[in-house]
Amino acid sequence: MLWFLIAAGIGIIIIFFLYYNRFVVLENRIDNSLSQINVQLKRRADLIPNLIKTVKGFVKHEKSAIKAVTDARKALISAGSLEKKVKANEKLESALKTIFAIAEGYPDLKANQNFLELQRELSATEDKIAYARQYYNDSILNYNNLCRAFPGAFFAKLYGKKQKEYLKIAESEKKNVKVEF
Amino acid sequence: MKEYKREDFRDQINKNKWKSFLLMIMIFIVFVLFGYVISQAFDPGYFFIIMIFAIIFSISYILISYYNSDKIALASVGAKKASREHHKQFYDVVEGLTLASGLPMPKLYVMPSPQINAFASGRNPENSVICVTEGALKKLDKNELEGVIAHELSHIANYDIRYMTLAAVMVGMISIVSQIFLRSLWFRGRGDDRSKAIFILIGIILAILAPIVVYLVQLAISRKREFAADASAVKFTRYPPGLIRALKKIKEENQPENKVNKAVAPLFFANPFKELSSTHPPIEKRISILQRM
Repeated sequence: MLWFLIAAGIGIIIIFFLYYNRFVVLENRIDNSLSQINVQLKRRADLIPNLIKTVKGFVKHEKSAIKAVTDARKALISAGSLEKKVKANEKLESALKTIFAIAEGYPDLKANQNFLELQRELSATEDKIAYARQYYNDSILNYNNLCRAFPGAFFAKLYGKKQKEYLKIAESEKKNVKVEF
Repeated sequence: MKEYKREDFRDQINKNKWKSFLLMIMIFIVFVLFGYVISQAFDPGYFFIIMIFAIIFSISYILISYYNSDKIALASVGAKKASREHHKQFYDVVEGLTLASGLPMPKLYVMPSPQINAFASGRNPENSVICVTEGALKKLDKNELEGVIAHELSHIANYDIRYMTLAAVMVGMISIVSQIFLRSLWFRGRGDDRSKAIFILIGIILAILAPIVVYLVQLAISRKREFAADASAVKFTRYPPGLIRALKKIKEENQPENKVNKAVAPLFFANPFKELSSTHPPIEKRISILQRM
């Protein structure tokens, strides 16, 4: 009987540890996916100056479109919170679309190897941002499920874990990402 | 055929690890049995020496194939490392999808073949490879390639790669070994003695059965795995049409492959051979399930 109680006690302690670790793992995963989003956003911002330089060499009269891109890039770099960064990135994305649309009218630019390479890289980073955001939300979903379902809810209360907010993505935007230039 | 039942990721991973372990045990037993049969059939006096040799051989065989199964599979199809410069889209797509799936970056390989196909291999996500055919890179557009790669990445995430590659490599070897055993029996063992004849008979039966049995096990599982991998591929890309279009292209354009070893066929995204349709579920079925997602 005594042994049984000891075994049961150890079992319960292990369960407490396991749940604690589960929370830690899921929280780390959220943090990690968040940093992945930031890495990709930064990569994107780093590509822009090169693009502007290349485009300026060919396109003289579209100053406002170019300015829109540089402004959006500045906003992206200076944005503090993730929400703001994502918003700035959306602006940058639409400004870039205008640039690429303008480029259609300049055969020399369109054939420029450097430009093509940048275009490919930018669309690849845009895909990566979308995927990183998706994974971020998936990780939050897993975490929130653990927080809400029983017995996770009990442990969540015990360890003071609260549900986290999703990063909001307009669903239509995901489709835009799939468009190839 | 029953449709794929929803299963937790972690259940699948545990199952695959457990199955890989059982497979290794099974291979061990088969080898030791072979050793036993051989020693009884030829000269019982060498029983201990042959058994010790069989045990050492089977352990090293298992360890070598466990750590090198991916290299063996890659070598058997003549794959080369993909270069970041020549296969930019391949790298872009895989990098994007590793972000979507939270997996580490696998090593990328390209195999020379005009067919559209791909496979993943390795012992765990940290030591994994993805290999696609030149044909797949040429004929598939970005969304289609994403579908195929996402399918392979889910094999990696599920630890399907460990079990499937181990099965392919180990079974492939067994078929060779048992062939050699059979051949040597035909020359030597014309029965003088009754017990000898019986052991030779057992030896023959073993040699015939062993690869077939393990192969059948492998076939039975790989069908379900493909549906599961299609489902999680969609979870990664959130875009079923890409995978559907890739499957349709494969159905229309692929010719039967002749360079691929039959033992590694179940690893592939789509069946490389026409006649061995049982290694993969029919493409129509996969498409119709994807269309309902």
